[in-house]
Amino acid sequence: MSKQEMVIEGEKYNSKDRIRADHTDLLYADIPEGEPLLKIENLNVIYRTDDKETVAVDNLNFEINKGELVSIVGPSGCGKSTILRCISGLLQPTSGTIMIGDNKCTTAGSDRGMVFQDFALFPWRTVRKNIEFGLEIAGVPKEERKERSERYLKAMGLSEFADSRIHELSGGMKQRVGIARAMIMHPAVILMDEPFGALDAQTRNILQESLVNVLQKSPRTIIFVTHSVDEALVLSDRIIVLSKRPATIHKIFKVPGEHPRDRASPELAALRKEILTYLQSQNTMNS
Amino acid sequence: MLIEYDENNRKHRLIRSTVITILSLATFLVLWWIATIVMNDRNFPTPDKVFGALWNLLLYGDPIGGHSIWEYIAVSLNTFLNGFGLALVFAVPLGLLLGYVKFLREFTAPWIEVVRPIAPIAWAPIFVLSFGSQLGPALVVFIGIFFPLLTNIIFGVQRIDKNWLDASKTLGASQGQLFTKVVLPATVPYILNGIKVGLGVGWMCIVAAEIYNKFGGIGQYLVDMVNGGLMSNAFAAIIIIAVLGLMTTGVAEYISKVVSRRMGMDA
Repeated sequence: MSKQEMVIEGEKYNSKDRIRADHTDLLYADIPEGEPLLKIENLNVIYRTDDKETVAVDNLNFEINKGELVSIVGPSGCGKSTILRCISGLLQPTSGTIMIGDNKCTTAGSDRGMVFQDFALFPWRTVRKNIEFGLEIAGVPKEERKERSERYLKAMGLSEFADSRIHELSGGMKQRVGIARAMIMHPAVILMDEPFGALDAQTRNILQESLVNVLQKSPRTIIFVTHSVDEALVLSDRIIVLSKRPATIHKIFKVPGEHPRDRASPELAALRKEILTYLQSQNTMNS
Repeated sequence: MLIEYDENNRKHRLIRSTVITILSLATFLVLWWIATIVMNDRNFPTPDKVFGALWNLLLYGDPIGGHSIWEYIAVSLNTFLNGFGLALVFAVPLGLLLGYVKFLREFTAPWIEVVRPIAPIAWAPIFVLSFGSQLGPALVVFIGIFFPLLTNIIFGVQRIDKNWLDASKTLGASQGQLFTKVVLPATVPYILNGIKVGLGVGWMCIVAAEIYNKFGGIGQYLVDMVNGGLMSNAFAAIIIIAVLGLMTTGVAEYISKVVSRRMGMDA
């Protein structure tokens, strides 16, 4: 993809404009970049079955700053996705609050967009219609929808597939649609649940680069759940490392280096080693 | 000259399936013929007599009743389409609702399970008595189509990928929008499949539906011929019903296939 194709959402939005379901980021226009936007307070998730209780998430607290990409990594089955589903509102936590700015999040809404591991695209819609889905829901007029989806199709390198059906796409292309569908809504926060987990290693790398590119043109606040430490290192501003279940925060790392990053740089290597060693210790304790 | 069969050649596949179908039908006729000889029963006519009767029926109509066969077919088609229309009107919204709302599904499950196994023919006298000779027969067809259609739609709604609903919620969809933008389109292939199955069952009901008619359609004609001992004509009527059934289900199957493929959901 050439640099020229990457121009995305050129215009500036004025916070006095009508706030719509498709531009919930404007609700928080007053919060400066780098200041806390999303606050997770005392998050607890306990699964109850007939004869036992399983604590999945144990009193979690953290903040996500505006415009940063924070990865959540942890040993398999530690409850990473559970945390994300709580933030999205798709799962009701046992207790705890999720705040965006001064607003408490209770149910799912368009202020928290989501990208799914298995894409969750609509097979009966074309690529363009998938990307426009949220705008359609929000009642955005047809011409505006078309114009905006055109930009995202271009930015994600999907222009020639605009009128294709989902089953005609490769896995990597499918997730490009998934990312575009979430980004076009301008949610306050985008939640990505192992978005590249179903892709092969090469496609993964390409999509990571695409994501970095798009975010440089159009910065977003993103929580990115992954089990790949390498992926977290390439993409994130910070990495939250979780313990094994019940999930508590082991440590939050700041990742050094400007984007695009060199995957083989010595700083990243040191960080990689530290995180992997910790995860290893948690996994061996498990088994 | 022998040409090797090539599975990847469209023309070869077509020739193969046509030859098999023709052989199958021919074998059926031969077996039928042998069976009539073995049984030697005047109530069980040979194929030539039946097709002769069918030929006369198509050309000259029914000399006893004084109607052309097309009049009978028109009446049956009318009954059938009314029953089908009613089934669509009731089964589609009800199936979507029952598939979507768990409580309603659980609440109505006993009703459905009790009523569903009752043969449509058992309803025929009740419906004709209560609703008259116009609506009554259509309701018998309705019962036949309604249940396969309903259960297919309920199944389809339950098969909806939960991720589609989750994704829609995070894109701001309301409950109503979830229904119209996800549940409805995602269920279309199952509705079409239900129609396909239902149409087949519907034609099975046509005879039962028309037994009690004064001037019924092809079903009533069949019953009259059996009562009059004109078995060749009765068998001819059976063939007509079979062809009508094949045509409607054929059309339904074709539409179902094309639409599902167009929607990218022909899994």
